[in-house]
Amino acid sequence: MFKTFFTDVIVVFLLALPVGRTVLAQSVRATTPEIFKQYSEHVLKIEVVETGSAAKASIGTGFVADNLGRIVTNYHVISKLVHSPERYRIEITDQTGQTGTASVLGVDVVYDLAVLRGERAGKGFLALESRTVEQGTRLYSLGHPHDLGLTIVEGTHNGLLKHTLYPKVHFTGSLNPGMSGGPTLTQAGKVVGINVATEGNQISFLMPAGRARALLEKTLNTAMPNAASFLADVGSQIQANQARYLAGMFGANTPRIALGPYDLPTRPADFFRCWADALRRKDLPYVSVNHDCSTDDYIFVSSEQSSGIVRFVHRLLSTEELNPLRFFTLYAGQFQAGNAASFGTEEEVTPFRCQTRNVRTASGKLKGVLCARQYLKLPGLYDAVFRAATIGARNAGLISTISLSGVSFENVQTISRRYMENIKWRR
Amino acid sequence: MAPLGYIETLDGKGKVIGRQAIKSFPVSIGRAYTNQVIVDDPYVCPMHLTIAPDEQGRLAARDLDSVNGLRDGVGSERVAKLEIHSGTRFRIGRTVLRYLSIDHPLAPTAIDRREKTRFLASPYAAIAAGSMVPLVLCAESFLSSVERVTAINIISEPLPIIATMLGWAGLWALASRLIVNRFSFAAHLTIVSMAFLTTTFLGIVSEWSEFIFPAIPLLWMASLAVYGLVLAGLVYGHLGFASPLRRRGRLWAALAVSVALVGMNTISYFAAHSKFSNVMDYTGVLKPIDAGLVPTISVDQFIDASQKLKEELNRLVQKAKGAQP
Repeated sequence: MFKTFFTDVIVVFLLALPVGRTVLAQSVRATTPEIFKQYSEHVLKIEVVETGSAAKASIGTGFVADNLGRIVTNYHVISKLVHSPERYRIEITDQTGQTGTASVLGVDVVYDLAVLRGERAGKGFLALESRTVEQGTRLYSLGHPHDLGLTIVEGTHNGLLKHTLYPKVHFTGSLNPGMSGGPTLTQAGKVVGINVATEGNQISFLMPAGRARALLEKTLNTAMPNAASFLADVGSQIQANQARYLAGMFGANTPRIALGPYDLPTRPADFFRCWADALRRKDLPYVSVNHDCSTDDYIFVSSEQSSGIVRFVHRLLSTEELNPLRFFTLYAGQFQAGNAASFGTEEEVTPFRCQTRNVRTASGKLKGVLCARQYLKLPGLYDAVFRAATIGARNAGLISTISLSGVSFENVQTISRRYMENIKWRR
Repeated sequence: MAPLGYIETLDGKGKVIGRQAIKSFPVSIGRAYTNQVIVDDPYVCPMHLTIAPDEQGRLAARDLDSVNGLRDGVGSERVAKLEIHSGTRFRIGRTVLRYLSIDHPLAPTAIDRREKTRFLASPYAAIAAGSMVPLVLCAESFLSSVERVTAINIISEPLPIIATMLGWAGLWALASRLIVNRFSFAAHLTIVSMAFLTTTFLGIVSEWSEFIFPAIPLLWMASLAVYGLVLAGLVYGHLGFASPLRRRGRLWAALAVSVALVGMNTISYFAAHSKFSNVMDYTGVLKPIDAGLVPTISVDQFIDASQKLKEELNRLVQKAKGAQP
């Protein structure tokens, strides 16, 4: 009941970093060995190695995507290098066991892609598919699950996900950590998507090939960029992207729900999912009803930071049994509960600072708390929590909380304002 | 014949521990029983000193070639002769003596303020204050429970606190018995009960003021200062019954204890808060009160005020950058 606001948000697991060991068991069709034989030479294992200890910090997969020998992989595979270029380097290994180094040419943090330059020019490449692929098409995904060696996984194209913040291919097939950045091919050997994430039980996601093509074009004329400049690039990409998904959020057309005496916003955009739940137990002298909405998508910034998560929770507490003083002990206790973020280190974020005020909206009075912290390596981006508790009633109260991650302070202010104004009393 | 004055023997703190009337001069002082003033000090000679008027009629002490000599005041240079006025201190061996003439001016009579605090010592006050404490504790225990409770839950919860308070009053009573030969248990119980009730009352006041005026940033400092005063009052009250100290002494002792404890608390508070943490630190006190009585600001003002939050976070970023090599 007293969960923090940053937990339970991330249900999608990214595919970098080996965790545990699971053995892949896949039926092998006749054409699969041919596909593997024909295309595996263009698939590379990508390791991010700590310079000091020569230890592997992260493992993923990548593939050669053009005749210049440029390599496409996921941003999250090489994110450590972006955040601390002085501490890490990239090592690539091909199917023959030949190793080499690579450097980053460009990143697209929003679509979780990166383009690397390795010494692979003129050795062939995997072409990106430009046509639309039908649902049900057989696909073949290549990668290095748990560093067990290059593996081919069969699966099915199940269309573009509709209710997500970012278009992603729904791939029915088992992707596992380590396969991140690997290509998923049609039978003709064209790259349909780049392995990016899994929800387990064969539910996996691919970044559409079109996004990789865009990044390849954008970085075509880039000279060797300064490693430190990527972080600034990551920051500005996130800044630009939030304008897109936050615009109009909690505007006039937001759907509404009734919760006790309150009229509240719900599902402000298609990419939100909402749940409702109530705690009614005979041994408790009060009732707690929850309405909880969150984006099921997010932008990976680093292992300790993400952006794009918006979550809000309405909690209605009411009692017919407790006297006002006892009810307010419960109410204040819940208002102060769950006040810690579950991630964030001293190297990456400032501590939280909060502002508490009694506020009157057009509809009624509430106690409002705004807490925020700033990212140290990406200045101008903030995590923020706005929390309100309605005041005035004696045996009922609403605690409503919205948490934002990786947004500008102006957006923190805009969203807090709109959210506050959206909490209404039913007359 | 009325005495001309007195030779007083003083202890280390200057308190009189012996007094000998002087009816005529010269006066002889020493360890021998032939002297007018006999000093039981192995470092004093049998015939150590005489005090007699000199040629001009002024009183003077003269060392009679003693082994350890005559010293002016306490512990200073050895002198052969010392002029004596009313109130002059001198030392022979390890004994400090003082001469006082009978017309020596006296300090004004001290007003006995204990009369005013006598009600504290009354058993009725102890019973009244002492019985308020369990009532308040039971009420607190009931109001802070948010689940169904039985009478036995509510009554049993305050018991450890009541036991602690009785023990506390008992220890002070024991100290009083040892130091000033009075037990004064009722008085100590009244004092600790009153301190507890005041603290509880202040706690309620501070919660309500935090709820109604959340924007006042130094409220916690004010409440810390007030708690410090209550603590000082507690120590001052106990010392009144447990020590022979005068008002000023008790006041200083009470302030010292209070400042030390409040200071330690403040230091540990800042030590705990200087560590990095992911906790959002806010006071979310909520109280059942008619919304019309709560002063509020508009949504615009709330958003405008958050600009300060942004500036503070920018300062934290600058600070973190400064800390990095």
